[in-house]
Amino acid sequence: MTAGKHAALLGRAARWLPVFGWLLLAALIAMPAFGSSRYLIYLGTLLALQAALATSLNLVMGYAGQFAMSHAAFYGFGAYLSAILVSSFGLNFWVSIPLAMAIAAVVATAIGYPALRYTGGVQLALVTFAFGELARLTAANWHSVTGGPMGMRVLYAPAPLLGIDFGSGRGLYAIAVAMFLISLALVFFVQRSRFGRALVAVREDEVLASFLGIDVMRHKLIAYVASSALAAMAGTAYAPIMSFISPDLLSAQESISLIGALIVGGIGTLAGPIVGTLVFFGVPELLRAARLYRLVALGVVVVLVVLFMPQGVAGLARQRLDRWRRAAALGPGPGR
Amino acid sequence: MWTDIAQTLLDGVMVGGLYATVAVGVTLVFGIMGILNFAHGQMVMLGAYVAFYCVTAGWGFWVGLAAAMAGMGLFGFVLERLVFRHTLTDHMAGLTASLGVIMVVENLAAAVFTPDHRSFEPPFAGSVQLLGLTLSSQRLLVLVLVLALVGVFYLFLQKTRLGKAIRAMGQNRTGAALAGVQTTHITALVFVLGSAMAGAAGVLYGSLFAINPYMAGGPLMKGFILTVLGGLGSVPGAVLAGFLLGLAESVGSRYLSASFRDGYGFILMIVALLWFPTGLFGTRGKARV
Repeated sequence: MTAGKHAALLGRAARWLPVFGWLLLAALIAMPAFGSSRYLIYLGTLLALQAALATSLNLVMGYAGQFAMSHAAFYGFGAYLSAILVSSFGLNFWVSIPLAMAIAAVVATAIGYPALRYTGGVQLALVTFAFGELARLTAANWHSVTGGPMGMRVLYAPAPLLGIDFGSGRGLYAIAVAMFLISLALVFFVQRSRFGRALVAVREDEVLASFLGIDVMRHKLIAYVASSALAAMAGTAYAPIMSFISPDLLSAQESISLIGALIVGGIGTLAGPIVGTLVFFGVPELLRAARLYRLVALGVVVVLVVLFMPQGVAGLARQRLDRWRRAAALGPGPGR
Repeated sequence: MWTDIAQTLLDGVMVGGLYATVAVGVTLVFGIMGILNFAHGQMVMLGAYVAFYCVTAGWGFWVGLAAAMAGMGLFGFVLERLVFRHTLTDHMAGLTASLGVIMVVENLAAAVFTPDHRSFEPPFAGSVQLLGLTLSSQRLLVLVLVLALVGVFYLFLQKTRLGKAIRAMGQNRTGAALAGVQTTHITALVFVLGSAMAGAAGVLYGSLFAINPYMAGGPLMKGFILTVLGGLGSVPGAVLAGFLLGLAESVGSRYLSASFRDGYGFILMIVALLWFPTGLFGTRGKARV
C-alpha cells in the first residue's frame, strides 16, 4: 500500500509540476521588472530575446523536425532591415516590425521551397547554412547600406505606443518579453492544433504522413517560414536594445549556439527552449565565465547530450512525469 | 582579350580545385556514413594552423602539408571513435553532434591561436610567364597540388581494394558487410581520409589567404554547395562541380560583378535543387537520408 500511496503522490506532483513551471516562468519574467538593478533588466532583456529565438527555432526543428541553420541569419536580417528602415527611411519602429517579418517570410519561402521538396532534412541544412554565410558576407561587404564589417550604430529608441514610453531599459525589456511570449503562445497553440499534430507526424515519418493525407511539403514550409519570420521579429528589437549591429550577429556560431540551447533544453517540448536558454546563456552569464571557455564547455555538453540524453532536460522531465502519472493511474486504487 | 579569358579560366580552375578538395571529404563522409559533418570546416582551419606553425618553426611547407594531413587524419580517427561512430543510425544526431564539436574546436582554437589573422610564406614566391600569361607560382603550385590530391584520391577509390570496399558500402552497407567488408573499419577509414583531405585543403587555403580561427564558414559553405551540385554523396560529382563552380565564380566576378562573388554558388545551388535534383552524378529517387 505504501508503494501505491507513493505512486499517487508522484502522480499528483506530476499533475502540478507544469503549473509550478508556469508560475516559475512568470516569477522569472517579473523579477527584473520589479527589481531596480539595471544589470538585471539588461540580462533579462537578452535572455528574453534568446528565449524567443530558441522557442521559434523549436517550431521548425522540434515539431517539424527540419534542420534550419539560418535562424541567426534571419535574426540579423530583421535587425538590419528594421534599423535601415527606421534610420534611413524614417519609418516608425512599430511599422518596421511587421514589414521586416513579411520580407523575412518572403526570403524564407524562396530558400525553403527548393530545399524542402526533398524527403529528409539534409537539403535544408545545406541550403540554410549556405544562406547564413551568404547573408553574413553580404552584411559585411555592402558598406553603403550596412556599414560593412565594423557594423552600424543604431541611434533611435522605439517610439511611444498608446501613450507608453518604450525607450527606457524597462520599456525595451517589455518589448523583448512580449516577443518571447508571442513566440511561446504561437508554439503553444500550434502544439495543440491539428496543424501541430500533423507537423509531429511529418517529423516522425514523412512518407507515412503523406499517406495520411498530410501535405508534407506545405507543412514543413509553413513551419520554416513562420519560425524565420519570428526570428526576424526578435531581430527588430535587438537593434534598439544593443544600439549596435554587426555582421557577427548573422554568423553560423550564433545559429549553432541556438541549436545547442534547444538540444540541451529538450527539443520538441514547450519548456525545452526556455530551460536551454537559461542553462546556455543565463548560468554562464551569472557565473561570469570567460566567453571562449564557456562555449567550449557548452560544446562538450551538447555532444554529451546528443550521445547520452537525446531528449534533453525538459524531455527527460516529461518522460519521468508521464511515468509517474501512469503509475498513479494504474496504481492499486479502488476498482482496479 | 584572349589572355584575359585564359587567365580568368585558369584562376577558376585553381579556386575550383581548392573547393573540390574540401568537398570530397564532406561528400565521402556523407555518402558512406550519412553524417553531414559541419565540423569539416574546422578541420580545414586546424590544418591551416598546423602548416602555419610548421612553416614558422622553419620546417617548411612540405613538412607542414604532411603534418596537417597526418594530424587531421588522427583527429578524425579520434572523433569517429568518440562521437560519430555512435550516431551512425541517426543522421540528425550526427549533425547536431558535429555542431557541438564546432563549438569546442573553434573556441579552443580562438583561445590558443588568438583571433589574429596569420599568414605563412608559400614555398615559391614570384610569378611565371607562360604563353603571355602571368601566373603566380604559388597559385600554380596549388593548382598542381589539388589536381594531384583529387586525382590520387579518385584513383584510390576506383582502383584499390579498399576503395572498392568504400564504394560498395556507399551503395549498400548491409550488402557490403555480407560480402566480407569490415564495415566498422572502413567507416573509420572514410572519416580519417575525409579529415586528412580537409587538413590538406586547409594548408592550401593558408598558402593563398590569411587564416584565423573563424575562417571555417567560407570553405564549408563552398563544400556544401558542391555536395548539392555534384549530387549528394557522389565524389566525382563533387569534384566536377568544384571546377565548374570555380569557373563560374571567376568568370562571374571578372565579367559580371566581383562583389557578388559568393552569391553565384548559392544561386547555382537553388537552381540545382529546383530543376536538377540529382546534381551532376547523383542517383535519382535513392533514399539517401
